[in-house]
Amino acid sequence: MSLSTALNIINSAFVTNAAQSAVIANNVSNATTTGYNREIANVVGNYSGGATVVSVTREANTALLEQVNASTSQAGYQQALSDGLTTLANTVSDSSTATSTSGSEVNGNSPSAMLANLQSALETYDASPSSSSAGQGVVTAAQDLASSLNTGASAVYSVQEQADSGMSSAVNTINSLLTQFTSVNATIVSGTASGADIASAEDTRDSILTQLSQQIGISTVSNPDGSTSIYTDSGATLFQGGQASTLTFTPTATYAAGVSGNQVMVDGVAITGSSSPMAIQSGALAGYENLRDVVAPQYGAQLDQIADGLISAFSESDQTNGGNPTLPGLFTFSGATSVPSNSDATGLASEIEVNAAVDPSQGGSVDLLRDGGINGTNYVYNTTGAASYTGHIEDMISALTTNQSFSATAGLGTSDSLSDYADASVSWLQNQNQQASNQLDYENSVVSQAKTALSNATGVNLDTELTNMLSIENSYETTSKLLTTADAMFNALIDAMPS
Amino acid sequence: MSASIVSTLSLGSTVLSAMHQTQSEISKLTIESTTGQYADLGLQLGDQSGYELSLRDQTNLLQALSTANNATVTNLSLSQTSINSMTSTAQSAVQTLTSLSAGSNTAAATLQNTGTNALQELIEDANTTSNGQYLFGGINSGVEPLTNYFSSTSGQTAFDTAFQNYFGFSTTSSNVSGITSAQMQDFLTGSSANSFSTLVSGSWTSWSSASSTNVTTEISPGETATTSTNANDAGFQQLAEGYAMLSQLGGLSLSASAQQTVISTASSLVDQGISSMDNTEATLGATQTQVTDASTSMSNQLTILQTQIGNLDNVDPESVATQLSSLQTQLETAYDLTSQLQKMNLAQYLPVS
Repeated sequence: MSLSTALNIINSAFVTNAAQSAVIANNVSNATTTGYNREIANVVGNYSGGATVVSVTREANTALLEQVNASTSQAGYQQALSDGLTTLANTVSDSSTATSTSGSEVNGNSPSAMLANLQSALETYDASPSSSSAGQGVVTAAQDLASSLNTGASAVYSVQEQADSGMSSAVNTINSLLTQFTSVNATIVSGTASGADIASAEDTRDSILTQLSQQIGISTVSNPDGSTSIYTDSGATLFQGGQASTLTFTPTATYAAGVSGNQVMVDGVAITGSSSPMAIQSGALAGYENLRDVVAPQYGAQLDQIADGLISAFSESDQTNGGNPTLPGLFTFSGATSVPSNSDATGLASEIEVNAAVDPSQGGSVDLLRDGGINGTNYVYNTTGAASYTGHIEDMISALTTNQSFSATAGLGTSDSLSDYADASVSWLQNQNQQASNQLDYENSVVSQAKTALSNATGVNLDTELTNMLSIENSYETTSKLLTTADAMFNALIDAMPS
Repeated sequence: MSASIVSTLSLGSTVLSAMHQTQSEISKLTIESTTGQYADLGLQLGDQSGYELSLRDQTNLLQALSTANNATVTNLSLSQTSINSMTSTAQSAVQTLTSLSAGSNTAAATLQNTGTNALQELIEDANTTSNGQYLFGGINSGVEPLTNYFSSTSGQTAFDTAFQNYFGFSTTSSNVSGITSAQMQDFLTGSSANSFSTLVSGSWTSWSSASSTNVTTEISPGETATTSTNANDAGFQQLAEGYAMLSQLGGLSLSASAQQTVISTASSLVDQGISSMDNTEATLGATQTQVTDASTSMSNQLTILQTQIGNLDNVDPESVATQLSSLQTQLETAYDLTSQLQKMNLAQYLPVS
């Protein structure tokens, strides 16, 4: 060992100190940057006995990152579903808008509440069948009910439209993220090969993956060359070997009865929808698809069943035994020629209306409601035209509480009274809404816990950095002392030389 | 490995998210404490929503039925008042008849007057309306139920023809005084096509436009009651026949015995009418009790329903208040913590060199 070796070591100590300080400065300045991974300066002893920073590595934790991504996907799915259900639930949120506990004010606008109002109006009409104002009350209640069903149906369509456009924008976001991912991944692969600092590129890549998992459930595989392959949670390839797949989707702008939307395709294979061989399970895209193709249509089918039930409950039958068909009465729909069967109810909720024949504002007569005969003289129940005839009104009242058959496809049982069915539909919707909301709360808390765990594992703690800074400062101070000492020794040596 | 290390980012964000959560809880509880109900009932009740709605629907229905029952009770008691008035008219007519001695000078005029006036009053009472609807019309409540057939030309002609056919002379003929008591009895109550009784009951539709079908009304869910009577009831017919007998025949110049037959036949008809009317009134009274009972029971059900709805919808005010105050404490603690954490920084404690 020589004094000059000591000087070399001192020199390398200064260089190392500077490099470590730079890493700490970087860490401190990014202490509050979300997704920043703490960097560590790796110091090793060198051949001359000093210490050198050989590399800077990120404090990474793949397992925790995957957990964050998985829970983000679940939360994205529930968020999409819950938003749609909230919109639908608003159309039946009677109780939450109730301000009074008596009278009709208590009921909001759900078909169920409107049906109850209609029933009350019929009871009032039954008590005073000769009163045209009581009859008008029934017509008004019936119009409210029809418009409530129309509103419900259009809410279903608009939720489907929103979900469709949500899918469209999710697909755009995914495609753009995949493009970004392609270039970041290339940087990492070449940086890994050349030994360049790729820490910030890796941070970016992680952040892209988290954003991606918000939209679509993914799983990732790390490759030896530093690249990462992305697959959907159902196994379809999104990114592999430097090549990103492109998601294609044709949006449907307007939803109506019988319209079904398109599915998202990757390389010609559908990754959404019940008929897809590899349907994605999570992410906003899956949530929107479920909302658009399963939940909203099912609620729509229930509304259709209610509309169909109404048309048949209030239908008029031939009173002359002449074999004429049963025809729509108080409730009808445009172009009605018969009472549709419950398996043929698609779109009825959006078309149902009050028969113009009983609506005085459209030139009709309320008395037809009491007497029958909306469909002509063969359908007159009150043949004597008596002013206090209640037989037909009582038929209608009991039709509301008598069991009818409903189509099983709406998922609410097949035999029920109309009012119970309408109540059951509200229950179904609010139950879905409640479940989605609870699930969303749960997933959000899982996300936040996973993020906290990840941040604790890979993030910056200012105190740790400051402590490290202090030891570097000490080391710097000691090194300068060493330098002064070595300098003094050289000087002493030089002074001792004869001149 | 890093369970003991907390990153500076998560240290700050933990408190922040705790604050957000507390704040949204507070806003929810504030709504609940002011309205006394859950902030978002649909979300709170979930699949109980339909049950809650059905309770509200029932409430609505029972309220509508109760209101409708009030009108029914009014009609029923109006009907009974009218029937009361009819029976008291009938009773005073019977009294007049009883005190009358046949064959006296004034008997004919009194008989005719009594009959005409009583008939007039019967028709007035039978045509009582409520809300523009005739109470005794059965379901045909839009048309005046009772008229005096004999006051119409066709009715008068029918009577004159029957009299002529039966006796062979007209009511103004001098032969009238020769009608015997037995003849008169047969004319009044016999089954001949020309008898007086056939004349009234056989052409009752000319007297009455009422429907024999009474009004039925649903008075509580699933319970229907007959809530009217009609002018085709036996009582109306008997009274009308008795009065008409007096007004048509009482004024004729009959022999004392024939006149006595008219008086006794009419009296017995009016008596029968009174008892029929009493029966009708009793039936209406029973129906009224039924309706009132239904209303009372519905009002009890309403109380129960309101309680059930309340159980579902209402929050416990004490627990909301307690939660609210503990959340406030929590939020204040979070604020405190934030400022404490700001100070908890090693840099603050390093000596300035």
